[in-house]
Formats: sequence, C-alpha cells, structure tokens
Amino acid sequence: MSLRALFARFRPRRTIRPTRDGWWCLAAALGLGFAAMNTGNNLLYLLASLLLALIVVSGVLSEQAMRRLRLSPVVPEEIYVGRPVLLGARVANGKRWLPSYSITLRVADRRLYVDRLAAGAEVLVTWESTFAARGRTRLPGVRVTTRFPFGLFVKTGRPLLEDHAIVFPAVRPIDPAGRRRLMAGGAQSLHRRGRGHDLYNLREYRAGDDRRLIHWRSTARVGALMVREMEAETAAATRIVLVGDGARDAGRLEAAMSEAASLAVHLLGTGAAIELIGPGVHVPPGRGRGHQRRLLTALALYDPRTSGSVPARRTAGASEIEVALG
Amino acid sequence: MTDPSSRALTVAVYLLVANGVAALFLGTLVGVPGLVLLTVLAIVSLWQEPLRQRVERVPRLGLAILALGAALLAVEIAVSAPSMLDVFTHLLVFLLLVKLYTRRTRRDARDVTFLTFFMLVAASPVTTSVVFLALFVSFLVVGTWLLMLRHVSNEADDATPLPLARGPVLSYGRDLFGLSLAASAATIVVTGLLFVVIPRVGQAALPMQPGGARMVSGFTERVRLGSYGEIEADATVVMRVHLTRFTGGRGAPEALPSLRWRGIAFDHFDGREWAVSRSTMKLALRRDLPVPFPILQEYGGPILTQEIHLEPLGSAMIFAAPRLLRLQGRSDFITLDDLGNVAVPAPSARLQYTVESEPEIGDPRRAGIAGARPPNDPRWRARFTQLPPMPPRIGALAREVTAGSPDAYDAGRRLTAWLSRELTYTRVLEAPATADPLEDFLFVRRSGNCEYFAAALAVMLRSLGIPARVVNGFQRGEWNPYGRYFMVRLRDAHSWVEIFVDGAGWVTLDPSPRGAVEPAPVASPATLWFDALRMSWYRYVVTYSVHDQLAAVETVRRATWTLSTAALHPAEWRQAPRSAVAGVALVVAVFVLGATWRRRRLVTPTAAVPAFYTRTLRLLARRGLKPAAGETARELARRAPAAGAGALAALTAAYERVRFGGAVLTPTETAEVDAALKDLAVALRTVRPQ
Repeated sequence: MSLRALFARFRPRRTIRPTRDGWWCLAAALGLGFAAMNTGNNLLYLLASLLLALIVVSGVLSEQAMRRLRLSPVVPEEIYVGRPVLLGARVANGKRWLPSYSITLRVADRRLYVDRLAAGAEVLVTWESTFAARGRTRLPGVRVTTRFPFGLFVKTGRPLLEDHAIVFPAVRPIDPAGRRRLMAGGAQSLHRRGRGHDLYNLREYRAGDDRRLIHWRSTARVGALMVREMEAETAAATRIVLVGDGARDAGRLEAAMSEAASLAVHLLGTGAAIELIGPGVHVPPGRGRGHQRRLLTALALYDPRTSGSVPARRTAGASEIEVALG
Repeated sequence: MTDPSSRALTVAVYLLVANGVAALFLGTLVGVPGLVLLTVLAIVSLWQEPLRQRVERVPRLGLAILALGAALLAVEIAVSAPSMLDVFTHLLVFLLLVKLYTRRTRRDARDVTFLTFFMLVAASPVTTSVVFLALFVSFLVVGTWLLMLRHVSNEADDATPLPLARGPVLSYGRDLFGLSLAASAATIVVTGLLFVVIPRVGQAALPMQPGGARMVSGFTERVRLGSYGEIEADATVVMRVHLTRFTGGRGAPEALPSLRWRGIAFDHFDGREWAVSRSTMKLALRRDLPVPFPILQEYGGPILTQEIHLEPLGSAMIFAAPRLLRLQGRSDFITLDDLGNVAVPAPSARLQYTVESEPEIGDPRRAGIAGARPPNDPRWRARFTQLPPMPPRIGALAREVTAGSPDAYDAGRRLTAWLSRELTYTRVLEAPATADPLEDFLFVRRSGNCEYFAAALAVMLRSLGIPARVVNGFQRGEWNPYGRYFMVRLRDAHSWVEIFVDGAGWVTLDPSPRGAVEPAPVASPATLWFDALRMSWYRYVVTYSVHDQLAAVETVRRATWTLSTAALHPAEWRQAPRSAVAGVALVVAVFVLGATWRRRRLVTPTAAVPAFYTRTLRLLARRGLKPAAGETARELARRAPAAGAGALAALTAAYERVRFGGAVLTPTETAEVDAALKDLAVALRTVRPQ
C-alpha cells in the first residue's frame, strides 16, 4: 500500500468546521463553564451544558443527515468547449427510515440545496457548466455539506463525482459560403428534400417557410404564394487532413481543432463519410453518430507534444480538406 | 415579511423575548414596573413590524444607537454605581430593545436568541426557583425551533437556483416543528448527562447564596411569652426532609411516632423569655466535610438518616430529628454548643445537609445507657433547674399533679398529660390578665400556643428539681408521597420540652395538644407533585456537587457490579431490583417495536408513491379494485371500469412520470392531476363495488 493510500485510509470521511455562530457558541460555552467553576453555580453549569449539548446534538443530526447519501453522476455524452452543458447528480438517501434534511451540494462556487430527502428517495440535482478547454478534463467534484440543524457547524464530506470527461472542440455552424465551397468540391444530389442547391419541387407557402425561398414568378402565375423546395446534397467521402503539428501557436491550434470538428460534424450531417488524418491521428472513414464521437474524441485528445507522424492516406477517391494547425 | 418562515420566526423571536424578560423578573433584576414597560415595548415593536419592513434602513443607525447605549451605561456606572449584574442586565435589555426595533434580517433573530440566552445567564446567580427550569426548557424548545427555522431559510436563500429540478421548497410545517421538538428533547437529555458528568470543583459546591432570597419568619431563636395577637398560619414550605435510611427495622421511617425537627434548645428562663444562657461553644473549622461531623455520643439505637433542604429562615440553626449524632454538609465551619444546638454561619443561604439521628423509641427508662448519666456537677443541675421568682401556686400545681410519681420521667409524663387534657391550644393570644404570663396561662386564660405549653411544662418540672429545657423546632410536617419526603411549613414551627432521664439522656415531652386542635394539612395532589418537582430541582440541580458526582459514580459502579454478578447467577434474578427489571423490559420493548416498525416500512415502501396516486388507489379500492401482486399501474388502469378511464389514464401517466421518471409536477400539472382525481371520484360513484 502506497503512502498516499495509507493517508487516504486514515483521512476522516468528513471535516467539521464551526461557522461564525458556532464560534460564538463555543466561546460562550467556554466562558460559562469557567464562570460556573469559579462560582459553583449549578445553574451556570446547566446553561453551559445546554450549549455543549447543542453542539453534540448538532453533530449527531448533521451526521444523520449526511449518512448513507449516495451520489451518482449525470453527465451528457457530448461536451463541447464554450457550450453550456447541464451536469447533474442523483442524490439518493440510502437510509431505511430516516430522512436527510438540509443538504447542500457544493460544486465549484455553486450551492445546490436539498431541503429534505425522504428515506429511500432520490432527487436529481443539476447545474450548468461551461468548459473552456478541450481534452480530457476532470469534472468539478461535488462536496456534500450541511450546516444542519442549527447552522453552528459546517460538516463537509470528501469530494465526490470527480470523474473524467472528454470535452470536444467547439463546433460552430458552417456559414452558407463555406457550405457552397464544400459542395463544389464534389457534392452529390440525394433526390430528396433538403438544403442543397438544386430545385426539388415547388409548393404552396406554409407558415414558417423561409421567405427567401418564395418563387415569385410561380406566385404571380398561380395567384398564391409558392416556395421552392431544394434537393438534399451530400459531399462525397471526405478526408480531413490536419496539416502541421500546432506546437508553435496554441491559439491557432485550438481554432484549427474547432474548424476541423465543425467541418466533420457538418459533413457527417450531410451523410458524408469522413476520415481524419493528422500527426499521430487517424480515424478511418465512417458515418453516423458513433463515428462523429470517435472523430471528436480524436480531435479533443490531440496533443502536439505527443503527436507522431502523419499516417499514409489509404482511402482512394475521397476529397480532401486541409486544416492547418499552424 | 409575509412568508410562513418569517411569520414563524417573528413568533419565535417574541416568545424568546417573553422568556428572557420573565427570567429577569424571576431573578428580581427587573421589578414590576420594568416588566410592564418591557412588555409594552415588546408589544409596540410587534405591532409596528409591518411598518419596519417598508421603511428603508438608515445607514449606521445601529452604530449610533450602540454608542448612545454605551454612553448611557457609562453614566449609570459613574452616577449610581450599580452592581456588575445590574449593568449587565441593563446592557442586555438595551441591546434587546435595539434589536427588536431594528429587526429586519434573520441574523437579528439569531442575535435575539443569544441575548435572551444571556438573560437566563444573568438570572442564574440570583434565583434558584424551579420556575427557572420552566424558562430554561421553554428557551430550549423555542430557541431550537428558531435556530432550525433560520438555518433552513438561510440555506434555501443562499442556494443557487436549480435549473431543472424543483426549487427549494421548505417543509415549514409540522415536519420542521416536530423535528425541532425531537432535537429539543435530545438536547435536554444530553444537557442532563453533561450536567451530571461535568466535573465540579470541590470548594465551588458551596451552598447557594442567592442575593434576593426571601427570608421567612415563623421560627425564632427565642421563646418570649406575654405578647398577644393572632399567630398566622403561614403555609410556606421552609424545609424538606428526605428520609434516606433507617436501620431500626422493616417499618417505613415516615411512620415513626413523634418525629420532629429539633432546632434550638434554651436553658435559661427569666419569667418571660427563654434564652441560651451560657453555652460551651465548640467551633469546627472545616473547609469541607468529607466525613460526617460527630455531634452527640451514640447510644446504640437505630439510626435515621435524613437529607434536609432548608430554605433561608433567617436562622443559623441546623434542624434534625433528635438526637443528632452526625452531620455532613457543605460549609466552611459549624458551631456546636453543649445544648446540642448546631449552627452554620449562613442564615440567608439555602442549605442542604445530611444528618444521622438516633430517634427516641420505646420507654426511655428501660434504656439503661451507661453514658447517659447526669454529670456529677452541681452547676449542671443548677443550670437546668434554674427558675426566676415564680408565683408559688405554679410549683404547688406541679407537685399536686405529680404526686406519687416514682421517677422524673413519670412526673414529666403526668404533667404533660395534665397540660394536654386541662388546657386549650389556641393561636389567638389575649393580653395577660396577671403580671406573670405563665400564671395567667395556667390559672386564668388556661389557653395558649405551644410556647406556653412548653414553658409551663419546663418550669413545673424545674420547680420539682427535674432538669428540663425548652426546645424550638418544627413538627414533622406533611408527607409528600410523590417525592417521599416531609414538607415542613412555616406553620409547623413548634416548641416542646426535653427532660433529662437517668440512663436515657435528654428525652422529648410535648405537652401541646396542637394536633388534636389543628386539622391535618392536606395539600392537593397538584401541589404535592409540584413541590416534589421543586425538591428534585433543588436536590439534583441547584445543590448538585462533587459529592453527588462521586455518589453517582459509586451507585453506577455498584449497580453494574450487582447486575453483572446477578446475570451470572439465574437463581438471583428474582431478587433483582424492580427498577432494573423495568429498565431491561423497556429496552427490549423499544427494540421489538422499532424492529417491527422498520420491517413494516420495508414491506410497504409507501414513501416513494406520490400522494395523488395513493388517493387514486384508495378510490379504486372502495370499488373493490386493488392492484394484484406484481401488477403494474398501467395494467391496473386497463382492468379498471370504463367510467373514469380517461381520468385514470391521466393519473397513471402522471404517476409513472413522477415515480419512475423522477419528474416534479408543475403547478399546472398538479392542478390537472387534482381535476383528474375529482373526475375519477365522480365517475366511480356510478360503479357498483366488485
């Protein structure tokens, strides 16, 4: 057993710290006890005992409140840089017949309060969080604390839910010009409604339709508002190539990662098969949600310090988009 | 401040204020005018609470008020130089009023809690009344409630709003109040334990010296004849006598005949007044009395141990059943004279002491105690047969009544019987018709109080040459069955006579027929119960000391040893004390009940079922439709009658969302659920029970 593990074993499960009221209570108890011993006045002994009893009962009830509380994390599958995400914890009271009162979950600078959790009950506590950097990151741990029942002491448990999560690079929408460029590089019509460039159909205007798609000539002819329906398009198999290693300019690297991720998400959305190649990175071509996660994970974990050589390009016939890492 | 928590806090704050002011009044730290003024100010503060919430807070007003208060207190100290306790009290009252009139936040409520607690502290050195216990408990209950209420309100306010889950909705109702009551009960228990185990410093366990203790009159350290008027029968309890042990047989000690509490004996009579003439004083200087202090020589009879709690009487005398053998108490020193009078120099203090006496049982003439012979000293005999010039017919009467008596004790009994039979006891004393009050009592009025009877008997005995002395003390008093002690009241003050019997020493004779005249006092059960509570308060709290701690430890040690020994010998179980058996039975009963309750809860986990679905099930059950084992809510809904099917489907869907989806219903959804419940109830009325 390592020294750290040994220390961890003997570290108390909870720490207790007096609040300002608690310090007052302790000082008053001490003063009264001193006065009682000096005067022999039993009523002073009684009052000092009352203060000490409040402290004891406070300790017992707060322990009772925190005992057998189980926390399980609720973490979304995809976390993106700069995009607010809802994290959560399921707090379950594992006691058989005693409720837990006045529990506070401290997450970073937030205080999330559960006033009462019945025996055997469970509550979902959520909070919003935004991650600034991509990569493998440790989620902000949750500390269960309570000042129950009198607010004299803060009892704090060990940090929980300090799980790791992978934060994907920021994904931004591709502007229309960029979309057109992508399609120009080998877009194929899919013969179904979509947001491509070729006309698919004309139909009557319905509420909510984009007014820019109104076909005025047909409208004048028919005498009713008519709109264009466009044909869906997909890019051909595309290879995103990360050029350079990004070791010189961290800002440029992050922007490039975000660009690559945005491209990948957009193209996968159009049904294209995407392959990712870069220094020490290779994700073979694929489609769908699972493949998107693989691509984003590879981009999230890219580290110029551990990057290797660029693998050989294997897929033939795929169009390539190069993203310069700087 | 209109939300329930604020209203509850306001109620708690003013209850605590009332409690604190009552404590100050109890300790006579504020008088009646002060009490009235503080009450009015508190009521006005309560009345203008809503106004205060609408007015903007004046910056630094609190600081200015505090500076003003400090200046006023400084002036008070400089001008009238009150005691530190008075200054402390005035400071507390001032701060309390400031807090009341500027109260806005929950922190102010907490400050009021602290201030009222210190009002109890201020009252503690100047009162020992059992009312303090009531104020203590009420402070504990209300203070606990206030602190918990403040805590949960603060926590809810400080918390970050939850994005998806429900917001903090506090259980202000009975739940929190019940919890605070349970916490109060637990605090009282722990307080009691801590109070018992916190070590006492030996010397600190002196008798209480409450500055404001009321001194009661009725017992005097002299007997003066010739005054007249009506003696009031004051029912104030001045002494409580707990009989802790009696070595003289199986009978209850409280059934002992002629129990009385001897205070002071007089040896000199000047014709009007009995007094202590010259008494050889022994002074015992003891810082503490770890062992009983010997008073009189032991004659070998049964021993009666008494624990006596004496209110401040204005007398330094120690009271005990005659003959007092040993005394154990807490005092720097005691004085003892050759009349057997014992005194402590703390006439304004409440005293607690333990004495061992050798009560007079049986005919003293048969005692034949070698040590109880009269001293062979003519001065001793002259001292106890001393008489002033007396009308000759008193001596003649004594000789006539005792004619043919074989011994002094028989003469004393004959005179006692004659006085009791021929003369009348009265508390209404008329002005004497003759110059000699005893002659007036014996031959003219032929009625008087116990002092006349005792003085007459002593004088008549002395006229016969029999050593006699008058004793002042108390009758036995009223037996309190709840606390198992005698309550001795002021009206029980009494006088009697001691004569010296060769071979038995000083023996009591009581000629007063008082018992036949005065009806036996009968206090109501409530009075007795309350007095027993007061006795317990004095005995176990006010006068608790290091000796009691040691005794408690010894008792526990002995009980543990006895129980552990008895547990190894089943044959002795039947002889186990009833209290121990009852304690074990109680523990077992609590354990069994707890286990049963717990099992029942585990079998029917109703806590997780939302209340609206419980009501739904109840409605269905009235029509005979109950969920089968393993049947889901949806299956039950399918099985239900067509009437109300829509409502039941909505309720089932809501139930599934809440129970299994962890959802919390919005107010709109709650209203829909309520409406569905009503619809279901109406629809099911048309369905015949299955």
